[in-house]
Amino acid sequence: MRYAAFGDAERLEGVLGDPGDPDSVFSHRACAAYDDADAFPAEICAELDGFDLASRYVPTAFGGRLADYQDCVQTMRMVARRDVTVAVAHGKTYLGAVSAWVGGSQEQAERVGALVRSGTPMSWALTEQAHGSDLLAGGVTATRTETGYRLDGEKWLINNATRGGALCVLARTDVNGGPRGFSVLIVEKDKLDPASHTPVPKQRTHGIRGADISGIAFDGALVGHDDLVGREGTGLESVLKGLQLTRTLCCALSLGASDHALGIATRFAGQRRLYGRALAGLPAARHALATAYADHLLIEAVSVVGSRAIQALTGEMSVMSAAVKYLVPTRTEATIAALRKLLGARSLLRDVHEDGAFGKNERDHRIVSLFDGNTLVCLNGLVNLFSILTRTAEQGAVPDAGGLALAASVTEPLEPVDHKKLSLLPRRGSSVLLALPSAVAEVEAMAVLDADLAPLAAAARSLLDTLDGVYAAMRGLPPAPVNVPPASFAVARRLAACLGGAAVLHLWLRSHAAALAEPGPSTPLWRGGVWPTLALDRLLAMAGTPTPAPAAFYETACAVLTEQVGTGRLTSLFDLDLAEAR
Amino acid sequence: MTATQSQSDTRIPTDIADWLTERVASYLDTDADSIDRDLPLAEYGLDSVYALSLCGDIEDTLGLVVEPTLAWDYPTVTAMAEFLRAEVGA
Amino acid sequence: MTTLEEAFGDPYDDGNPLGHRSVLAADERAAVADGAEAVLDDYGLNAEFVPERLGGRLVEVDELVRRLRPVFRRDAALGLGYGVTSLMAGLNVWLGGSDVQRKWLADLLLGGGKASVGYHELDRGNDLSNNAFTATRTDDGFLLSGRKEVINNAARADAAVLFARTGETGGGRDHSLLLVDLHQLDPDRFRRLPRYRTHGLRGVGLSGFEFDGCAAPDSALVGDLGAGGDLALRSFQVSRCVMAGTGLGILDAGLFATLRFALERKLYGQAVADLPHARATLVDAFTDLLTADALVTTATRALHVLPAHASAYAAATKYLVPTLLEEAMNSLSVVLGARFYLREGAYAGFGKHMRDLPPLGIGHAGGVSCQLTLLPQLARLLRKRADPAPVELFAAGAPLPDLDLAGLRLFAPSGDPLLAELAGTRMAPHLADLTAEAAALPARDTGVAAPPAALGLTDRYAVLLAAAAVTGYARHNPTPGGWADRALERLADRLAPAPALPGPANEALFADLLDRATTGHGLGLDRDPVTRTLA
Repeated sequence: MRYAAFGDAERLEGVLGDPGDPDSVFSHRACAAYDDADAFPAEICAELDGFDLASRYVPTAFGGRLADYQDCVQTMRMVARRDVTVAVAHGKTYLGAVSAWVGGSQEQAERVGALVRSGTPMSWALTEQAHGSDLLAGGVTATRTETGYRLDGEKWLINNATRGGALCVLARTDVNGGPRGFSVLIVEKDKLDPASHTPVPKQRTHGIRGADISGIAFDGALVGHDDLVGREGTGLESVLKGLQLTRTLCCALSLGASDHALGIATRFAGQRRLYGRALAGLPAARHALATAYADHLLIEAVSVVGSRAIQALTGEMSVMSAAVKYLVPTRTEATIAALRKLLGARSLLRDVHEDGAFGKNERDHRIVSLFDGNTLVCLNGLVNLFSILTRTAEQGAVPDAGGLALAASVTEPLEPVDHKKLSLLPRRGSSVLLALPSAVAEVEAMAVLDADLAPLAAAARSLLDTLDGVYAAMRGLPPAPVNVPPASFAVARRLAACLGGAAVLHLWLRSHAAALAEPGPSTPLWRGGVWPTLALDRLLAMAGTPTPAPAAFYETACAVLTEQVGTGRLTSLFDLDLAEAR
Repeated sequence: MTATQSQSDTRIPTDIADWLTERVASYLDTDADSIDRDLPLAEYGLDSVYALSLCGDIEDTLGLVVEPTLAWDYPTVTAMAEFLRAEVGA
Repeated sequence: MTTLEEAFGDPYDDGNPLGHRSVLAADERAAVADGAEAVLDDYGLNAEFVPERLGGRLVEVDELVRRLRPVFRRDAALGLGYGVTSLMAGLNVWLGGSDVQRKWLADLLLGGGKASVGYHELDRGNDLSNNAFTATRTDDGFLLSGRKEVINNAARADAAVLFARTGETGGGRDHSLLLVDLHQLDPDRFRRLPRYRTHGLRGVGLSGFEFDGCAAPDSALVGDLGAGGDLALRSFQVSRCVMAGTGLGILDAGLFATLRFALERKLYGQAVADLPHARATLVDAFTDLLTADALVTTATRALHVLPAHASAYAAATKYLVPTLLEEAMNSLSVVLGARFYLREGAYAGFGKHMRDLPPLGIGHAGGVSCQLTLLPQLARLLRKRADPAPVELFAAGAPLPDLDLAGLRLFAPSGDPLLAELAGTRMAPHLADLTAEAAALPARDTGVAAPPAALGLTDRYAVLLAAAAVTGYARHNPTPGGWADRALERLADRLAPAPALPGPANEALFADLLDRATTGHGLGLDRDPVTRTLA
């Protein structure tokens, strides 16, 4: 089936052309050359500006074209599947602006929206050299003046800090700090006294080498009262809410990187001959490809439900975003590493195979699990939710059935996002988890009538048992807000696997009828529960409760993968012709 | 979590400050005696995001729906207890 | 004599011309640090690759691995680029060459020369049996045609050992090895290929050779005509162990770097090393480093003690050790966070090490080829219970029998003496399961078309072998308190994920790790003196 959220993605593909064509602006060859030179991919970003990509970062309510976050994810995925560096370099503007969508007044959001639409790159200045992810240790101060605030101190490892025209800066507005001691301020560089800020030189990085990872030092930079986002002291809150969105949107980078790696490896396996046969004909190689594809479909499903949840289950994004941001990048890292072994020496070489894109893609993608809340921060975020998740489950909290159905039914239109509904805690629990028992019952009932669904039913049952084990483990762990023990992190990993598994099951249940009603190359994945069974196989292995899918399911997946790559389609649960197909 | 369940069934703790001190101490895995009720919770290393969880305890025990950021706006046990006492009384 | 560690100096000293800062700056230029190769020249590293009876210092392979460790700790590109390929070339000649060839190559290496080894062709990869590079017999020698690609040191090597097709019968006797003096070849019919640019191991000079009907003398043939496959597969047994061992130096450096960072860095008001998760990650990486070391040490000693079994042990080691090391580096990188992603700053070296580790594992002896070496032997190895291995397999410092390369076999005999260590341990049931499953495996499933489940058996064999190495080593040597138990627990987890949750870090192991870091000792089994400082 086709997926409506691919609309913009398809148009963008049409504009950008085949990335394998060295004459196109956004070609793999061009990206490799920028990377060699540690150079910002300015020409490619200009091409994206020509498409008016930045207007897709601005919600319609604030004058832009962002109506559905899922569209935004799929469009950025098209950029990332060509080059993660470019996606990071351009997409960073969304992160720079999000504080205004989440915490600003209508006027401020419109002002920032206009800046973004005008093509001004924005950045989000959160981290500092000495503190990293510990935001409340930040030392940049915003001191009240008669006309507003004066900013002093240095922000470091900030994407776009030097090239960006505007920033949202998290600064200390109360010398004593604390959760109410920080505020976000909008800083437009051209309104500052040039002597009051200096760029901190770009840091050279192992991946995304062309990106502008630098910093900015303020020395008495003056901003106005109207540059304060929301009320004073709401900085942490608006940052945490903004992160719920950006952590979810990060899945676009992983999805694109995974698309890219799968494409290269599948093409290689098709061409390569070993031991007198095609590599793609060797069972071990087929299994490696199919396993990587299973992981890929898993992260795609989680990304689809996660990004739809921004609008459908807005108040639950604290739990959803942490699970997505943990699962999707780490699964993608494992996928790329597994495919690297298939590719052998070519993964190391810069000039031999597809412009050396495989190795570059792996280096680039490593940034995804580092920024915007790294793996540990996201797992810790889940640990912080243990008590509310167990309590709501025990109290028999009612899932938001309508919201969940919307998040999982890809053919249903979504309501525009209401950023005010974002919450620091999922007050009514996680609907995805709360509705798992009924989803499993539904699958089991279907399997009674359709024996082909027996493997999915078994996997679903196993998922539910695993979740029960996770609940028991969460209850058994002492509250440990200060020094979180390794056991809590282990449980958080299993919880993330359960959240991912539940998203997989809901997506298949609510969308398979539509998928089967519109046959296409991806149809075999939906029939007989092939893809959710494979995805659950991967997740349950990770959760320590392996439930292997039938070998035939892996064969089906391998056949669809080969077909999609061979015909220039996106490696996906849905049908989309890439530029290569034209 | 039967303990929580039974708590939520019982009446409001007579001294909210005592009860809060106990909750905070259990989160910090320490004795209630060692908690200074006038010191910001952050001083004990209580992660500000983790502190949001207190709203769940309050909801269960006092039957009050409060903003998750309560512990941010009333950063000490004393301040939080005063706020809650007023809310319960209202 | 100055040790290599002393000569390299403290990597964290920014003023050290061979410190991390210089190594990273050189990496930017796709080179090794100026003066680094001179240190190895002064030390006479090449002598480590040449058997003692030919004038070199190669006696025990596990000692060779330990002597290479400081080099890989510093810079994998230096270690690989300087000479490990000379060893790989040499092994073929020590094993199958004539006395004249042995002496010639030994003298060349001892004089500071370099030898390349030419197995790899880009279009064939691991598949030696279909190599296209040919040596056609003439009246007085061979005519060489074709290319060898992605060959270390090809641009500057004096000699090369080339794996060439010399027959078309379709069996295992179609290839031969040739030792050629590259300076004596007709320059019109031989050329060195341009250097390949690489994503990792950037300082290594990888290029290749192209031959176009180029004459080589009869005397170039190593061993018999058609013996190439046989010689290569036996040489691999040594080189697989050594290459797996080189990775230990990388994890040693990565673990030290992460510990250094975790002690120095404050997060949420305390040192990162005091956060339980970070501490557990450090201790787990330490555990796995020691486990990998035990397997490498045992496999290299087995080359001397149990040469008939070395084929299986070397393949299992080369298969499992890089995976253990790569996983440990990945976990450590999470503790380092953004720092490892930077190409500058005190911890940039970690990112370089992490980048360089995986490519050390690829090439002609990559993971799947190791599995395919193991698979056909598995049922036979496991079929009968062997007597336990002799004590000198495990006892560090116990003298080893001479390395007898001719005693290496392509196929191990029935009964696995190393696995006999597992009798009565918690691993015994796993071994029984594996034995039963391997016995049930049809022969058609043990070749290149093996199904994934069959290849999975080799994975479990390697894990059990590591468990046996840990058990045997700990039985005969003093080891860090708590290590062996924790190591076996982690290995058992790889065989069957346990629902049990991890406990806090073992404090005794952390104290041991900290003590080594503080007192300038390595993090491997031998606790070698290391020159490096905490912040």
